[in-house]
Order: sequence, then structure tokens, then C-alpha cells
Amino acid sequence: MVLINDDSRPRLEAWLAEATGATRVSVADEGRLGGGAISLNLAVTLDVEGGPLAGRHACVLRAQSSAGMKASISKMQEFAVLRAAFDAGVAAPEPIAACADPAVLGTDFYIMRRADGVGAGHKVVKSDEPQRGLARELGRQLGLLHKAGPDTAGLEALPLSDAAPALACIHSYRDWMGEVAARDPVLAWGLRWLEVNAPPPGDLVLCHRDFRTGNYLVKDGKLTAILDWEFAGFGDPMEDLGWFCARSWRFGRNDRQAGGLAGREDFYAGYEETSGRKVDPQAVAYWEAAAYVRWAAIALLQGRRHTSGEEPSLELALTGRMLPEIEMDLLRHLKAVGRTVEETSATEARAD
Amino acid sequence: MRANPDAKGLLNIALETFRYDLLPNIPPAQRYTALMIANALSIAQRELNGLDDAGHAMLAALAPLYGEDADGSLSGDELRKRVEGLQHRLCIEIAAGDFDQDGQGMLMDCLEEIVRARLGISNPKALKS
Repeated sequence: MVLINDDSRPRLEAWLAEATGATRVSVADEGRLGGGAISLNLAVTLDVEGGPLAGRHACVLRAQSSAGMKASISKMQEFAVLRAAFDAGVAAPEPIAACADPAVLGTDFYIMRRADGVGAGHKVVKSDEPQRGLARELGRQLGLLHKAGPDTAGLEALPLSDAAPALACIHSYRDWMGEVAARDPVLAWGLRWLEVNAPPPGDLVLCHRDFRTGNYLVKDGKLTAILDWEFAGFGDPMEDLGWFCARSWRFGRNDRQAGGLAGREDFYAGYEETSGRKVDPQAVAYWEAAAYVRWAAIALLQGRRHTSGEEPSLELALTGRMLPEIEMDLLRHLKAVGRTVEETSATEARAD
Repeated sequence: MRANPDAKGLLNIALETFRYDLLPNIPPAQRYTALMIANALSIAQRELNGLDDAGHAMLAALAPLYGEDADGSLSGDELRKRVEGLQHRLCIEIAAGDFDQDGQGMLMDCLEEIVRARLGISNPKALKS
């Protein structure tokens, strides 16, 4: 999908000039950036004449990919989320402008400031010593994000469910899985376990829903930006913590349970510092189980984008074949959680 | 009228040639794509060679739940249908809450065996971790 060509560039530049209050904007397209399995990310440099943004800016133009995906929000909603996160002091890329007029590029898109750093998970986790400071900082960032919620200005367009967050999530996972939920007993058990053990509704906060190693940038050991906001929505605060700590995002560093960086205690401590909320390890364990079920459902959706012929792609096809790996992680986790419950009950019985 | 070399033979030699002759010379910018190709071909190779073995392992995991012996004589489509039928039955029982109180240990053992059989095809390395 070519977004910027000789035809569309003048339209984009005219729209940007208006949106940024400039007299003139010129856009240099520097090519596609990696990591866009669902969205299309273009590196662009803006030369802005006049107005509050006058000067040269390295930016990213982020557009809906051809097919889009069931689990993701629209680019306009994503822009609103980015704005709310940025305003809350989260290290999200600064949002510049969003466009819902198909006459400009033919698809919804927005422009944000480009951040420097390494994102690839296997590179980020590469370190002789645990990266305790980075894990703590990511906890702090998540705590800041979770201060936003349904009452935050600008988030009115995000969907709100009447159901308890856990039940709303299970409903979505089942919907994304389609008939596979009735054919694959591991997924059927995962869904059932989540239903039976669902926590009661509590605080509802703005969740990132893909907050994990691989989705943030690091430069010289320091966090520079948190990316990929397309799954964001209102949910249980512990959901993001469970997702971050899941084995799927440790990139082989299973001894460092907080995103392959360090132990959970650093991440949790950072979170408690800024969120004003205590981490509930049992709730995080529930949401880690939910993370495997959700990741399995997303892998199925990704595989289906390929097999349906909608978007033929080797990467999507292989994601569809990751299912057994994700299911093994789910079973390992459920076994470990079962053991913890048994040990806790045994300790309590002895104490009695 | 099977041609010689057959599909398995062609895939084996294509993968070996790709992996040993081509992969070391792929420029860094294309290496990720090349590794994905090698991975996809390896999965296809293991599936062509081991689908029935995986099916038998899954059947052996499922049959005891229903007090049945796994039928070792099944193969191909018949085997696949038998496994799918039992998996579907198990899904219905799980969703109905049959394992909420009792039988979870047996269920977990069965599910683990099923996943191990499928991992043997899609990603055998994950069996070791």
C-alpha cells in the first residue's frame, strides 16, 4: 500500500498546514518502519513554516493497514488514547495531528513525533545483568497511564462495556476464536478457567493492552517511548501487568519474569510508586492466564487474515502456527497457579 | 502414478539447499524473511512426515477420558476425524462445567499431551524449554 505519492503529497501537505496552523508544510517520506503487522508506519520528516510548530520534525505517519483487525481500535480512537497518555505524562510519542478525511490519503491516519531507540524484544532483553531500573521505570509508566479512565477528557469515543472487565474480555476472546473455541480443548479449558475464576469488577482504567517488551523503545538502557496503542481500552488495571509478565514476551529470558528484564518486584514497585494502587499478585496471575488465552485468540485472527486470502503474508501465516506454543505456556501457567493455590490452602490449614 | 522424487523428497532437498547453500549468503535486510521461509518449510516437512504419529499421540491422550482404547489402526483422514470428534466432545464437556470440580488432573495431563503432539510439528524446540 503506497500512501504518499506525487498525487497525494500535495493533499497531505495542505491538510498538515491547516492542522498545525502553519503557512506551509513539506513532507519527506523516508520509508516504512518495521513492526507494523496491523498498522502501517511510515517515517516522515516535516518541514513546517510558520505557526507554533515551525521547524523540522522527525515523525511517524501511522495508518490503518488494508484489512485492519477485529481486536484493534480505529486510528482516530488511537490518536485520542495517545493524547490522553501523553497528557498524563506517559512516555508516549507526542501526537501531532489526526485525519479522518479519506480524500487526503484514502485511509484514516495520524502523525506523531518519532522516538529513537531499539525496539526488537530479543535485543532489548540482551543484558548480562538484570535491567532493574528499566523494569521499574516501565512499572512507573504503567502506573501513570492507569490514572486515566472513562472520565478522562478526550476518551469519550472509547467503548465502555456494562459487563465486568474480565467477562467482557472473555466474551471478546471467544468471539475472535470463532468455532475454534469448540474444537480446541486447550482453548475451551482456558476460557472456562477464566470464567470460573473471574475477579469481581473493581477500578476501570485506561489499559494499553499490548504493554510488553517489543513495544517500547530503549536507548542507552533508558526508555524513550511506549508504542503500539491500537489495542487500548478500558479494563482492569491488573490486566496490563499480567500481559507484561507473560512468558510470551520474555524473549527467552524466563528467569526475568518482568518482560525478560528483571524480577517482578522491580516492575511492581515502580507501578505502586505512581499508580497509588497496590499490586495484587493473585489478580496478576489471573490476568496472566487471560494473556495466554488472548494471545492465542489474536494469533488465530492473524492466521485467518492470511488464510482468508484477505492479506497473504508469511508472517501472519506463521503467527497462526504459534498456537501450540502459546497453549503450552497457558498450561504451564495454570499448573503453577494451581500449585500456588494448593500451597496457600495447605499453609492456611497448618496455621489453623 | 506417484512421481519420484515425491513431494516429501522434493521438500527435503529444497529445504536442505535453502538452509545450507542460500541462508548463509542472504544479506542482513532479508535475513528475517529468509528465516521465516526456512521455518515454514520445516513445519511443512514435519507435518508431511509426522501428522499420523501426532494424531496417534492425541488419540492416546483422549481415549482414556472416555474409557476407550486408542485405535492404532487408524490413519489419514479417518484418524483426523476421530481425533477431531473426541476433541469436540471434550470441548462441550469443559464448557458445560464437567471439570470444574473433579478430574482436573486427568484433564490437564490429556491437554498437555495434545499440545506436546502439536508442538512436535509446529515448534519442537519449545518442548525442551
